[in-house]
Amino acid sequence: MSPLSPTATATDGRQQQQQRRGAARGRPHARLHDAAVRAAAIACGVVVVCATGALGAFLARAGLRGVREVGIGALVAGETWKPEAGAFGGRALVLGTAATALGALLAGALPALLAAVWLVELAPRGLRRGYRRVMEMAAAVPSVVYGWLALVHLVPAMASLARALYGADAEVGGEGLAASTVLLSIMIAPTVMLLASDALARVPFAHREASAALGASRLQTAFRVTMPSAWRGLVVAVFFGFARAAGETMAVQMVIGGARRVPDNPFQPTTTISTQIVMDMQNAAPDTPASDALFSMALVLLVVSVAVVLFTRALGARARRGSA
Amino acid sequence: MSASSSSAAAAAAAAESSARSLSRRNRRGAFFEVALSRTLASGSVGLGALYALGLAWLVARGAGKVLRFTSYATPIDPSIDGEARMRFFLALAVFGALAWGVAAGARTLVPRLPRTYARGFIAAVAFGGALLFRDHLPRFLIALPTETTAGGGVGPELFNTLYFAALSTAMTLPIGVGAAVYMARFARASALVSVLRTALDTLASLPSIVYGLFGFLVFVVQMRLGYSLFAGAFVLALLNLPLVVGTTEESLRAVPRDLEDASLALGATRSQTVLRVTLPYAWPGILSALVLSIGRVFAESAPLIMTAGTTISRATAFSLDPFRGGETLAVHLWYVNSAGLSPDRADVSAGTAAVLVVLVGLTNLLAARLAR
Repeated sequence: MSPLSPTATATDGRQQQQQRRGAARGRPHARLHDAAVRAAAIACGVVVVCATGALGAFLARAGLRGVREVGIGALVAGETWKPEAGAFGGRALVLGTAATALGALLAGALPALLAAVWLVELAPRGLRRGYRRVMEMAAAVPSVVYGWLALVHLVPAMASLARALYGADAEVGGEGLAASTVLLSIMIAPTVMLLASDALARVPFAHREASAALGASRLQTAFRVTMPSAWRGLVVAVFFGFARAAGETMAVQMVIGGARRVPDNPFQPTTTISTQIVMDMQNAAPDTPASDALFSMALVLLVVSVAVVLFTRALGARARRGSA
Repeated sequence: MSASSSSAAAAAAAAESSARSLSRRNRRGAFFEVALSRTLASGSVGLGALYALGLAWLVARGAGKVLRFTSYATPIDPSIDGEARMRFFLALAVFGALAWGVAAGARTLVPRLPRTYARGFIAAVAFGGALLFRDHLPRFLIALPTETTAGGGVGPELFNTLYFAALSTAMTLPIGVGAAVYMARFARASALVSVLRTALDTLASLPSIVYGLFGFLVFVVQMRLGYSLFAGAFVLALLNLPLVVGTTEESLRAVPRDLEDASLALGATRSQTVLRVTLPYAWPGILSALVLSIGRVFAESAPLIMTAGTTISRATAFSLDPFRGGETLAVHLWYVNSAGLSPDRADVSAGTAAVLVVLVGLTNLLAARLAR
């Protein structure tokens, strides 16, 4: 075992320490230098932990105050959200977030997964690199750019679709759940595609050879061998897409309309948690019930996304160990 | 590496031909198979083409706004702090990039062109252009934004975006690299390491709006600083920490042991080894993580709205004071479309989006080049 191994056992640790002392013995300056660098590195770690702790503590303090004032049941399922009248019922917000994120998952993640399978298993070799570059670029484009494009092109298209579906006199428009869902699915597809193709590429090549030797075609190999053995990685990819869709703020704010009620159909304006936070926070004075309730909604978002991502991390860690 | 990939390619070809000969036995199956893989291929190519065309359209739509150099000199307003400085550096960057493109083209045409000539050409064009044509840059890139009239630019937004990148990198770089060095080299299995890992996992999972609320609570509510660039940069630095620490730790762990052992055998202490052997070797990987994190700074909007505000004040439009407020390009794009009243906001949005896409594309390109 090498002396610098990070997973040193107890004896290794002692040897390591002796070795270090040996190198620095008789050179107090060197020993001081060594201690200073080590202390600086530890300080950096402590700073990261403290910042994270402060983030959790600040949000929890304000958020739990809101929960105490309003009550968790009312906050998540209450009918009306009207901060100016002191009513904080978050049903429309929670439903809006859940509907857009799940819709985006269905409409965006499935094509992305299929594209990943095609890219890793079937695509011509010359095309792969360029395809990945385009997708990396698309995943890095700012979300407000997607939001602006959707505002200019998607919302009018959705309005005419809504009129075609519900008749010209119905109370429908382009802004709403439908536009947000389409926008979010376009936004998360590149991310899901990239993560899924990474997961598929980690499957050992021997599995594919074995499958081909048994007489399976490339397509059969892709769907019956590669995808099942990479399933954990694929789930991680999809959940990352879900987390991005649920947390997305500005792009959704631009196309969802901002009405604080549960819509009758997908073509009526409604709202999501993050949209409502960014809209109301500008008007809410600090330390009032209005701002506390917003922090409580942020806490809900935080708890959900931390739970989702920690779960996928556990799954992902096992996936990497399993296929390594 | 290349040997294994070429043998893998040979194996793939063999597997393909054997699979083809076997599936030929069942013609109906083969038909279904061909139809399915064609559908898959056309669907995937269509998806990729959609994004590629969208990106190209974005750049083309805004190009007219961004590339319009003026024949007249745009006067410098002496009441705006730092406007001349900002124009000079912007011109340096623009002409430097143009000259670099020309030099790269020339070097592919004439491969034996000496590198010094190319460098000299780039430096000459960049500085010459910056000195001579500083006031002839496209008005859109240097003018102040307007609220209600047409013809607004994004000069301060561009400045703020780049300033944010510098400020937040100045915070992420030492802390992120320090934490990664600690985890990869100095830490024994201790409680701090597992706490640190949990903290980084938590940070990585948060929606960006939550970071914005944190910055708002600490800097605006608690410390009563008002909206400030410093608060925004702090929040962005926090947001980028998981990415930078993760990638840095990975590239530190990829440093060959032999190098470190050799350094230790020469009598260097562990910290000397880390500072003079490990970090320089891992530097390209660290740099590529930093560049990617700068791309995220360019793209982020929600946390900045809550910490740095959505306004530009005329007197401090190009000021280097980090405790003033100010919006970035991404925030401007949102603000123009949700609250702006200017009649040409479609053009302003197109130009802003094009600048953003070009900036993000450059960071992506640079990161990929560094990671190689």
